[in-house]
Amino acid sequence: MKNLPRDVQEALRKQLPKVVKNDFRKIFKKEFDSLKKEMIKEFLSHPVTLEIIAGPNSTNISGTLNGNSNLFAFIGFSAGEEPIKPILEMLEKISFKDGGEANVGRNFSVDMPKANDIFAITPMPWATGRSWAKGIETGISGLGYLLNKSGRSSRSGVAIQVKNKVRGGGFSNKPYISALINKYENKFKELK
Amino acid sequence: MIEQYNHKLTNSFMLWFDNYLLTKGEAYTNHSGVTLEHYADERTDSDYKVYGSPYKQWVIDSSITGAIIPDGVVVGNTPTGSYNPSISGRENMAIDFDNGRALIKTSNENYDVTCDFSVKDFNLYFANETEEDLIVENKYTINSRIYPSVEAPIEPYDQVIPAVFFNTSTIQNKGFAFGGMEETTTTVTATVMSEDSYMLDGLLSIFADSRNELISVIPMSDHPFNEFNDLKSGTYNYKDLSKQYSKCNGLYINDVTTSKLTDRARKSLSNDIFVGFIDFEIQHHRFRHQ
Repeated sequence: MKNLPRDVQEALRKQLPKVVKNDFRKIFKKEFDSLKKEMIKEFLSHPVTLEIIAGPNSTNISGTLNGNSNLFAFIGFSAGEEPIKPILEMLEKISFKDGGEANVGRNFSVDMPKANDIFAITPMPWATGRSWAKGIETGISGLGYLLNKSGRSSRSGVAIQVKNKVRGGGFSNKPYISALINKYENKFKELK
Repeated sequence: MIEQYNHKLTNSFMLWFDNYLLTKGEAYTNHSGVTLEHYADERTDSDYKVYGSPYKQWVIDSSITGAIIPDGVVVGNTPTGSYNPSISGRENMAIDFDNGRALIKTSNENYDVTCDFSVKDFNLYFANETEEDLIVENKYTINSRIYPSVEAPIEPYDQVIPAVFFNTSTIQNKGFAFGGMEETTTTVTATVMSEDSYMLDGLLSIFADSRNELISVIPMSDHPFNEFNDLKSGTYNYKDLSKQYSKCNGLYINDVTTSKLTDRARKSLSNDIFVGFIDFEIQHHRFRHQ
């Protein structure tokens, strides 16, 4: 580059970014899509996600309840509810923006949701200001389960039939959304 | 066991919560000339006779403007009137602020005892029970603040509502700065039970705005109560007490979330109470290894 005439250097400096812009975008998009897919796959294969997707007849594969009942009934969801859907939709909406030229290459910014954004769209069925997704990480009381039991009919359909007494004290916290978001936030930052 | 971090946190937090609620919400009701009736209590020293009011948890904090903090009771049928509000101190008597009663060193069970006091709109309790035990399984006496259905003294010791029940659910330490400083994050859950929606909404609103508040760390040795639930030094002022302990290295409310039990869930309860939750995330930067 140094050996080139100054006017050629100047022309290259001005024109090169425009020429390679789409190439950079294509390369970044490919890596971004791959990482996003990996993130969603990891979320969908998390034992907590799998257990909730399985609904009121699931077993406690996440180990959060020591094998008693299941998260769907314990949290107090109604049969037919799809609690995972809003999270999945939010993850699928992750996109990137072209941030303009960099010294070498181009800048791209990823609009990654924060854990608090996900907590805001995952209300407890019995106290909408609380998040069940946050509760997986910090602890959930057995209130939803007991309210289900004490209601005229069990909203989850099967919670009322569970014989073992499931209590809040028996809930084991598990890393869930915050860990996922932190991990992939760092991975997205590393994309080049 | 000597005092640990969790003890200090619980003590400091509850004293702060009490003051914050009474200050911001003026959440107390003044009562004048309330008759305290005698009842037997096996747990008290036999030298004392118990004269109780229909209300539990009287206000103790003299920094609350307008609140009446009793410094004695009026004994009507004694010639000397030896227990008079104008006489400071606790000679031959104690005021049990927590159970809303006076303990008088006498054998006479027939005194006409009256007292002026302020009663908290919400009782505060530190609870070990889980939320489901508190809300679904426990049975409470409703200690109405405005229109008590019975003027008789309320049973001592049992928890009554309206009330707030505290529980420290999780504590987590992580490195914060060079030199060994750690960030301790504690989740304190407050379960609020109220007779009506207005009071519940009011309390939740007050504490939803408590984010970023600083709380002085007050050791348990400075808790205002003695063994009778009376004031150790005859008077207690939260603002003065908290000034003795720097807020610079105090507790910090990093996040607070309020929520209410949905109406559908509430209808599942056997009792007709309104329930809310406040989840506090409290941080403290400290050197736990020192």
